[in-house]
Amino acid sequence: MIEYLNNMAETLTTYEPDNSLRKGYLLIFAEIFNDIKKNRWLTYQLFKRDFLGLYKQTYMGIMWALVIPIFSVGIFIILNTSGVLSVGNIRAPYPIYAVMGMMFWQLFSGVLISASNSLAGAGPTIVKINFSKKSLVIASLGKSLLSFFIQLVLLVVLFFVYRDTPGFEIILIPVFMLPVLIFALGLGFIFSLLNAILRDIGNILSILATFLMFLTPIFYAKPSEGILSTITQYNILYYLVSVPRDIILLQTTSGLVGFVISSLVSFAILIVCLIVFHLTETRIIERV
Amino acid sequence: MAYGIQDIGRNLLGLGSRSNVLRNDEFWALRNIFFNVKKGETVGIVGPNGSGKTTLLKLLNGIFWPDEGKISLRGRVGALIEVGAGFHPLLTGKENIYVNAAILGMTRNEVNDKFDSIVEFADIGDFIHIPVKYYSSGMFVRLGFAVAIHCNPDILLIDEILAVGDIAFQNKCLNKISNIAEEGGKSIIFVSHDMNAISLLCDRCLLMDKGALILNEKPNEVIEKLSAIFVNEKEDMFSDILQIYFIDDAGRKTSELHCKSGYNLVIDLMDVILEKGLFVAFSFINFENKFSYRLQTDAFKNVKGRLKDKRLSIRFKEFGIPKGYYTIRLAISDGTYINRKYHFEETIYFRVVDSTEAPRFLEAEWSMTD
Repeated sequence: MIEYLNNMAETLTTYEPDNSLRKGYLLIFAEIFNDIKKNRWLTYQLFKRDFLGLYKQTYMGIMWALVIPIFSVGIFIILNTSGVLSVGNIRAPYPIYAVMGMMFWQLFSGVLISASNSLAGAGPTIVKINFSKKSLVIASLGKSLLSFFIQLVLLVVLFFVYRDTPGFEIILIPVFMLPVLIFALGLGFIFSLLNAILRDIGNILSILATFLMFLTPIFYAKPSEGILSTITQYNILYYLVSVPRDIILLQTTSGLVGFVISSLVSFAILIVCLIVFHLTETRIIERV
Repeated sequence: MAYGIQDIGRNLLGLGSRSNVLRNDEFWALRNIFFNVKKGETVGIVGPNGSGKTTLLKLLNGIFWPDEGKISLRGRVGALIEVGAGFHPLLTGKENIYVNAAILGMTRNEVNDKFDSIVEFADIGDFIHIPVKYYSSGMFVRLGFAVAIHCNPDILLIDEILAVGDIAFQNKCLNKISNIAEEGGKSIIFVSHDMNAISLLCDRCLLMDKGALILNEKPNEVIEKLSAIFVNEKEDMFSDILQIYFIDDAGRKTSELHCKSGYNLVIDLMDVILEKGLFVAFSFINFENKFSYRLQTDAFKNVKGRLKDKRLSIRFKEFGIPKGYYTIRLAISDGTYINRKYHFEETIYFRVVDSTEAPRFLEAEWSMTD
């Protein structure tokens, strides 16, 4: 448990065995909020470090964000037009459909995986210096966010290429992406802790993410029958990825209720995971 | 693993962690540590390796929570524990200064204000604009240290960090730390093996061993009692192979030597196997000035085979080396000096109590008996 008291502009810090929960939930929210607020600049610096470190020695730099979407979408387009795969009934140019789905999916899996690796990859610094671990996790999502916006630019280009005008709703994309982001971040907090002690988790997540990518209707329309259809009904990611896409491309969607529910669930998950993270981060550091 | 999950579960459910009870395979890394540090005091922590010094520092830094008891700190806590925390090799020195400073807890305004001072202290010139991966290890340390030392916390925790860098830089750091100490109002907690620094800087010294706090007194008093404890510790490490100790002229074992008296350094070989021949070399290493006296002999180069219960005696009529604390580094080699079979970096500690005007040669006579 940590107590901060402001006393003549000097903080008093106390460490004791019992955990913060003893003082009630309200204090925990306040602690979490203060922690994140106090460390805004640190979060920015950590993000800047990871970002610069990643792209400084590359020639293409941030343009790498376009590589995976272009390749994956390209493959699906080839498979679709040659009749190998049937993607179902899609009432929009397929490349746009696929890129938009891919954008949202990349945001989810990117944030999840980089958040999970944020603590494990921090090295010995994390057990020697006391700095905000939440900042580490939050900073890790910066890169995925940036990639998302670059892919958004690609999307706009594609709209021009196919002479398709999107609905005005496209402006709302920054809002639409929030639930996905929140969902991924919430899960990311939990998995960052788990991965820090059991390094397998990071690998498992990567594999799982690929699986999920195929099982969720991103590159194809939602199947109307069969087991996949039933699963998809309850797949949070399906709603979070498809509904924004439907709204922008078709100006109508059948999954709005699902979307709202999924968003609320995501928000709840973030809150819960944040609390769990806050209560257990020190215990985890003991065993990193 | 199971204990980890248990602890986490209890944390989450708001149950008391019951951490004051040991489970199987657990041991107390620290136990019954009580001490106060007043504002403006500099406290040193010494003790053999494994005594819990770094763990104590981690607790003070907030990295672990205590399993029993309470730690209270008034003021901002800063750590000189890891040099270059958060440095990324591809980032320039300047960019890394900001990252490191943020990790150590400085605010953006603070870093901007102190930036020039940091760069000047680091003394790496134009390299500040070049990626850190091109730095020499010395430059790396200087930069990391420069940032850390500008943190200006109310409580500064230092963990053996002065063991890096060259002598000039170490002096610079020591000076800066003693400036901070003299400024007043800042408390420093300083873990070190460097007795010299401890006695220069610290108002008080804590001696730790095996997780317990043994002494809490002025540095000189602690240093006196230190040797006794160290001797016991180290002997365990090599006592199967050999034992080493000083005997004064009255036949008593001692570790406090007077420069005008005669002593025998005895090395009892309990069980040593050599194929080609016995070569012995040892050095007295002085902690303060980090110089050493080396003695070696090949008088026994025809002695080989399995040596059990043999006694090597080195007779010193006078012990004319400067006052201070020493350890003995010992190497037993086979056939040539280079082919070291048994090598110990630090064996026992001893202290030369009075001073001599200038270092003189040590004259030694070697003999071997059973």
